[in-house]
Amino acid sequence: MDITIKGLEHSYSKGTPFERKALSNINLSIPSGTFQTIIGHTGSGKSTLIQHLNGLLKPTQGSIQIGDFKIQAGVKEKRLKALRKHVGIVFQYPEHQLFEETIEKDILFGPLNFGVPEEEAKKRAARLIQQVGLDESYLSRSPFDLSGGQMRRVAIAGVLAMKPSILILDEPTAGLDPRGRREIMDLFYRLHEEEGLTTILVTHSMEDAARFSDDILIMEKGGIALQGGPETIFSNPEALKKLSLDVPETVQFIHRLEERFTKNLPHSVFTLEAAVDAALSILQKGEENS
Amino acid sequence: MQNIIIGQYVPGQSFIHKLDPRAKLITAFLFVIIVFLANNWITYALLGAFTLLAIFVSRLPLRYIYNGLKPILLVIILTFLLHVFLTKEGPLLFDWGFLEIYEGGVKQGVFISLRLLFLIMITSLLTLTTTPIDITVGIETLLGPMKKVGLPVHEFALMMSIALRFIPTLLEETEKIMKAQSARGAQFSSGPIKERLKSIVPLLVPLFVSAFKRAEDLAMAMEARGYRGGEGRTSIRLLKWSGKDTTLFVILLLLCISLLLLRS
Ligand SMILES: Nc1ncnc2c1ncn2[C@@H]1O[C@H](COP(=O)(O)OP(=O)(O)OP(=O)(O)O)[C@@H](O)[C@H]1O
Ligand SMILES: [Mg+2]
Repeated sequence: MDITIKGLEHSYSKGTPFERKALSNINLSIPSGTFQTIIGHTGSGKSTLIQHLNGLLKPTQGSIQIGDFKIQAGVKEKRLKALRKHVGIVFQYPEHQLFEETIEKDILFGPLNFGVPEEEAKKRAARLIQQVGLDESYLSRSPFDLSGGQMRRVAIAGVLAMKPSILILDEPTAGLDPRGRREIMDLFYRLHEEEGLTTILVTHSMEDAARFSDDILIMEKGGIALQGGPETIFSNPEALKKLSLDVPETVQFIHRLEERFTKNLPHSVFTLEAAVDAALSILQKGEENS
Repeated sequence: MQNIIIGQYVPGQSFIHKLDPRAKLITAFLFVIIVFLANNWITYALLGAFTLLAIFVSRLPLRYIYNGLKPILLVIILTFLLHVFLTKEGPLLFDWGFLEIYEGGVKQGVFISLRLLFLIMITSLLTLTTTPIDITVGIETLLGPMKKVGLPVHEFALMMSIALRFIPTLLEETEKIMKAQSARGAQFSSGPIKERLKSIVPLLVPLFVSAFKRAEDLAMAMEARGYRGGEGRTSIRLLKWSGKDTTLFVILLLLCISLLLLRS
């Protein structure tokens, strides 16, 4: 499902002394199957933006089109539940949404709400609990006995179990250990590829943004500051610096290598392995020449 | 969710904002008592005038107050209807066989609803125009003498202020969890009643879990920062009684006397 956002504006607590404009004039289109990353400082409106994509927040101006669902300022959309079946959101700190007696029941909550037969839902739960890095023995345990990181994984499984076609991730790995972070991000990316999902990732990690994105959106003060593919975005460190954002370490490294050896290197080098290869290629060439 | 005004503080510079919290607390307290003095149209009109004046002077946006009252309006309407249908006094106004409405019932209904409305308005004004800290300091000073009889005044005041302080936080948390569960297909604001009732568990369980956790964290943080109860503790806020506060009391006194004279 393609997503098209036109002239979106959102003010919190409209009509009270606490009114606060969090988004203004957002125009954005995300074609089906894109891995879209959203970056921006804290308070720049990232969470506000993504909550519009399944009708949790209503625009105060503008419209959002998702497939054939249309959410418009001032118009009541009656098929929100149907829309939410297609758009899964993993919220910031999703572990706060756990409530059931057992982990299995909690994972089943979403699918059962959306009318998935119990048999099928249970199958999904059994598969997902492994995919998020726990094993089936956990299914019968209470979610409240788990560590924070494990709770996070269960909550993520609970959203994935709905089999959304658009998966929205709001800083899904914040507060996890580096290894857990990598595992979870790899899982999301694998699902993105295998199931042809549209993935929207909100993150503070430039490394993740560089590795996975088809397109990067940089937000500032409720608006769009920059947008483009990772190569375009990261080949312009000056623009990023102006927004007080960093380029990924690998990109920094490549730029330094280029300066040092006055050579041009490919700018699409975002993974650690690729950076190592690029460095080796320079060094080896150097040896051959000498 | 965003409309709830209970426990909210709206910063401002109005006459009422600048009053000494003690004056406001005493006024609110006395008001709750004198509301019961009113028993005819003119005394209710007086109380109404006082309430409206207070709202006007506070310079809070009327629409904000109205929106905040909406959830409570239902209770007031219900109260009204109960009195209208159940009080059988005075001349009969309507008679539809099974339903009889008497004049006394209508009068009673209007009075009781007005009383409720005034009480809610004045007490809301107190929290809307006073920071939780000021309320606490006010209560603590006012109840200060009770310490001598061994009442845990400081603890009580602290409890109050923590409760006030965390109402907005809890509402925020409620909203967040509602969103997370809605995204998983729970229905809170639309759909059949049965569905909505079922959504209460997925809302309340996480809410309680986080409230307890928050309480624990707060207690730990207070202890870590050396909190040891009220003994020898001074306040950074110094209360100052001013001409404004005396003015308020004169108005309140006048209101009291008029009520006593005019009530039937
Ligand atoms: N429920 C709310 N009520 C009122 N204002 C809000 C609410 N949620 C967010 N805001 C305000 O809207 C603005 C954007 O917030 P938002 O949560 O979208 O930021 P964010 O980019 O997700 O930040 P972070 O990286 O910290 O998650 C902020 O200024 C914030 O204060
Ligand atoms: Mg956010």
